[in-house]
Parts: sequence; structure tokens; C-alpha cells
Amino acid sequence: MSASSVERSQAVIEGLESIDPRHVLYLPSSTLKQVLAHFLPGGAGAGPERRVYPIPREEEGISILSGLALAGQRAVMIFQDNGVGNLLTSLLTFPRPYHLPIFGIVARRGGLGEYNSMIHTISERTEALLDAAGVRYFQLDSRTPVAEWAPTITKGHTFAHTTHQPVLVLVNLMGG
Amino acid sequence: MRRVLQRPEALALLDAAFSDQPVVLTLGGTIREMLAVAGRKPNHLYSLDAMGQTLAIGLGLALGLDGDRRHEKVVVVEGDGSLLMGFSGLATVGHLQPTKLVLVVLDNGVYLATGGQPTAAAGIDFAATARACGWAEARDVPSDFESLRESLGWARGAQGPILLRVKVGTEQPKTDYFLEDPVLLSRQFQDWLLRAEGTGASAV
Ligand SMILES: Cc1ncc(C[n+]2csc(CCOP(=O)(O)OP(=O)(O)O)c2C)c(N)n1
Ligand SMILES: [Mg+2]
Repeated sequence: MSASSVERSQAVIEGLESIDPRHVLYLPSSTLKQVLAHFLPGGAGAGPERRVYPIPREEEGISILSGLALAGQRAVMIFQDNGVGNLLTSLLTFPRPYHLPIFGIVARRGGLGEYNSMIHTISERTEALLDAAGVRYFQLDSRTPVAEWAPTITKGHTFAHTTHQPVLVLVNLMGG
Repeated sequence: MRRVLQRPEALALLDAAFSDQPVVLTLGGTIREMLAVAGRKPNHLYSLDAMGQTLAIGLGLALGLDGDRRHEKVVVVEGDGSLLMGFSGLATVGHLQPTKLVLVVLDNGVYLATGGQPTAAAGIDFAATARACGWAEARDVPSDFESLRESLGWARGAQGPILLRVKVGTEQPKTDYFLEDPVLLSRQFQDWLLRAEGTGASAV
């Protein structure tokens, strides 16, 4: 892992900790290893006040987040952008029309530095898919100084609540 | 042929058994028939067209209300087709053990809302699947009034997660479309949920 991925991952952890989620749902990717290790048993972000658990499909995670939002819980889902296609139907048929402020951190793939020969075919269409679906997102990549990352995540989460809608923050942890 | 329960009868029993608990209703005829038998209820969450999501929404609610003494149970009313779409939720429930969750599958064997095409439910043992996934209890309930009433009463007092599967008929009473703004459905349910006095030991 390059120094910059370590720094970026740390910034994502700080941003997430500022939200202090009671529930952390995840569907891992290798690029998210450091972030997830923080929340998993043994990590500094693990604790009895926080439930951290795997979800088998991204759309199921969207529905669980929706139920948690109805109950007034702070929660976040951490997953990879090749799962965005999976979740669009559930996002657009429940939390979006029902105005639920759910929040996700999405690891970007594809682009410069990608080492997988296939994943870009879906991952590089992430913004286009979200735009077509009218889903609000913010981007964090090499264009944004790493010092701005954590505050952007904090504000992205607030934005979901102030605008009563799902919000995703797309994070490029690979250097692009 | 032995008479089976029709869905509106099952829904009336469900409403009565959980009249003061959060109830998440699956899409289509289930919502419209519940409205016909029980009217608009503040404790009912109507998920208008979100197929496959009912169980997972209820799971999130049950997790979110864990330790909230205002609510003893979170009831999910699901169809066979919608459950099969969100089938992975059975595994996640087993993993997370939401003790307040009660899933009632009203199994008519078909996608009734779209014209009655068969689902794959006939050959699938939902209760055994739930048990294999680690649910606390899972039962097939005989399709008659007394059995369902008794099972719902039992589920109310037992520790979950609990699955009840009931076969229901496919009679469709004529109902109006339900065209409410989802924002309102969401808001009204949340207002009830977070303010309800409940019947738990003592509302804090
Ligand atoms: C993603 C998706 N695909 C298809 C539909 C169309 N649809 C609406 S209701 C329904 C049937 C649901 O079956 P079931 O859960 O068994 O309920 P029933 O109709 O029998 O009451 C279908 C397929 C939909 N709403 N969403
Ligand atoms: Mg059906």
C-alpha cells in the first residue's frame, strides 16, 4: 500500500469517527482493508457501543440502513463501487422516495493505478450510474487535499440529514 | 377441499395481535388488503413497491430498536415472492439475532399482484431454512383462524428472531389503489415510532 493510500484510509477513518456510527455495515474490498480493520474486532474503532457486521448484498445493506434510519440510528455502509449496480433498485424504491438520510462510503476502482483487467468495466461507470439515478454523491480523490477528506465525510453525512436523502461519498484509496 | 385462510383474514388477525407494535407491510395486495381490514394505522409502515426489501427493512428497525423499551417486537409481513427476492436476509438475521423480529410469511404460492404466476415457494421449506440460518424459532402455521391467532399470541411473547409461515388463499377482494406520498408514510410512521408510549415494562 502506498503512503498515500494509508493517509487516505486514515482520513476516511477520521471522517467516519466524526459521525460516530452505532452501526457499521460492510461489504469489503481489498482497498478498504485498513478502514475496515479499524472497525473490526481488535481495531481502535471496535467497541461494545458499536455493531459492525457484514452484509451479503449491497441492496440488503440499503434496506437495513433504511430500517435503522427509521429508528433514528446513526449508521454507515462501507462498500466498493462495483456493487452500485446491485443497490440502485432498492435505493430508488425505498430510502429515496421515503426521504431517509442513509449514508455510504464507496471505494472507487478503475482509473489510473487499477491492476484488475475487468473491474473498470463497471467501476468507471459509477458516477454515470449515480447521475442517471439522481443519487447525490461527493467525490474524494487526488483532486482533494487529504486534509479535506475527513471534513468532507462529516459534511456529507450532515448533508444527507439536512436534505433528507441518501448520500454517498466516493473515495479513491488507490491513488487516482 | 379444505378451506384455507384468505389473506385479509390473516391480516386482520395480525393487526389485532400487534396493534401497538411496529408492523412493516410488503408491497402490493398485502398493503391494500390491510388498509381494507384495519384502515390507516400509525404503527404500519407501508413499503409501496419495494419488493425484496421488507425483511431487511424490518431487520434494520429491529436492530435500531434493540433496547428501546417502547417496542417489544418488530413485525414484518412478507409475501413468498418478495421473500425469495430478499432471501439473503434470512442469513443476515441468523447472524445478527435481532430478538424483537417476527417475520410472518403470507404464502399464496404466487406473484398475485402481477397476475398469479407461480413462485418457487411451493418446494421450499422456509422454516427449515430459517432454522438452518440460526433463527431462534421457525414454524409452519396451519392455515386456519385459531392456529394463526394462537401462533401470533405465542410469537408476541417469545424471544426472536421468529419466522411464521402461513399458507393463504388467492382470493382478491376489490380494493382501491393506495397512492399516498411515500414521504408522508415515512414521516407518520417515524413520528409514531419515536413517540409511542408502547406497552413495554415502562416507557422511559
Ligand atoms: C424489483 C421488482 N420486480 C418486479 C416487481 C413487480 N411486482 C410487484 S408485486 C410482485 C409480486 C410479489 O409477490 P409476493 O411477494 O408473493 O406477493 P403477492 O403478489 O403474492 O401478494 C411483483 C413481481 C417489483 N415490484 N419489483
Ligand atoms: Mg405471493
